[in-house]
Amino acid sequence: MSGDILFVSNESGKAIFLTSRNVLVKSFCSLSNTCSSQDSCRTCEIVDAAKSYLTGKKPDLNVRSLDGELSAGIGEYKIGKNVLLKVMGLGSCIGVILSDVSTGICGMAHVLLPGASNSGESKYAETAIEKMFEDMIKMGARRNRITAKFAGGAQVFKHMSLDILKIGDRNAISVEEALVKRNIPILAKDVGGEVGRNVIFNPVDGSMIVKYTKGEVLWL
Amino acid sequence: MTDLGNLSEVELDVLKELGNIGTGHAATSLSKLLNKDVYLSVPKVKVGEIKNLSSEFIGEIVAGVIIALQDLEEKKSGYLYIMFPEKSARKIAGDLFGMEELDEEMYASTIMEVGNILSSSFCDASADFMDIILLPSPPSFAEDVPTAVIDSVVSQMAKNSNHIILFETSLSSDSDIEIYLALLPETRLLDDMMKIMGQL
Repeated sequence: MSGDILFVSNESGKAIFLTSRNVLVKSFCSLSNTCSSQDSCRTCEIVDAAKSYLTGKKPDLNVRSLDGELSAGIGEYKIGKNVLLKVMGLGSCIGVILSDVSTGICGMAHVLLPGASNSGESKYAETAIEKMFEDMIKMGARRNRITAKFAGGAQVFKHMSLDILKIGDRNAISVEEALVKRNIPILAKDVGGEVGRNVIFNPVDGSMIVKYTKGEVLWL
Repeated sequence: MTDLGNLSEVELDVLKELGNIGTGHAATSLSKLLNKDVYLSVPKVKVGEIKNLSSEFIGEIVAGVIIALQDLEEKKSGYLYIMFPEKSARKIAGDLFGMEELDEEMYASTIMEVGNILSSSFCDASADFMDIILLPSPPSFAEDVPTAVIDSVVSQMAKNSNHIILFETSLSSDSDIEIYLALLPETRLLDDMMKIMGQL
């Protein structure tokens, strides 16, 4: 990855900044729904702290840097430690996050289909959760500390003639069942609706950031 | 059954030809509809893994129309996915109605109708020239990023294969109209195509 990924927070809000050559290129901020400058961050306490961190000055706020980012493609899962996890362009698919905050080990799956696979393919909800869970244990996560968050399963079609397109709800139910079956606590979820989502996970504070494709941002 | 991850040159060429003839006719219909010259890009056929699909599409919000294609026995042959970048979609709807502002319902229904016309001429062409009967379903419509629109279709196809074949081309006209067209064939369509080729 070409630049630092920073996490900055104060009492009122928190933000993830993606940077390139010491310039802020993209932000996911918990204040962006109410912020006047929206996506094109100009100046505020949080942005200033990130900028001073990049220029080597001592920032006023606590700035944490992440060790890169991983993006899970359709039907894949990715695990890592202290990395930003992403799945982009979810329609009926679901982004499932498992994390153990005590060790910083986390994983994100891009679930495509409900149910389980006979041949261990991670595009199915149950199989993806099971494999990701075991891989995280192997990496050092603690079994009873792993918690889950998930988002997705929208029904983006306004006019629909094909029943097969209604798969979002089934995906969401299947993910929830698989988590309950394994006794993994569900801390947050954001499913359904009519708008696609990008889901990002910040391992520093364990937030799931849901950025709707039409602009709105949620920190859960 | 044909394995999507392992297609021969000939199979890909036949598929490309089918797509070519189909989109050629779709372009002619669009040209008549808009009363404008329509240009067709050189089409591409890609066999890719599903997990990399998101990199194949444009990143902006599109008005997406999905049409399922069936053969005479009502078995799924594949899907046509027509993407109109938002600006182009508004422009097409506006031009057809001769006014700038349209209510959302009229707008959606116009774009679906354009999708309908494009897919029907696509299917006509494939029947005329290659004797492959494709019956289009009524269109389904969504506005979102291209992967969010298509992922429910992809999930259907993912049940049988980790690979997906994508026939992609774009139609454009002066005055900023761009349309992206993709054909996602099921293995059944490839089997049918090869059968017909074998008879020649």
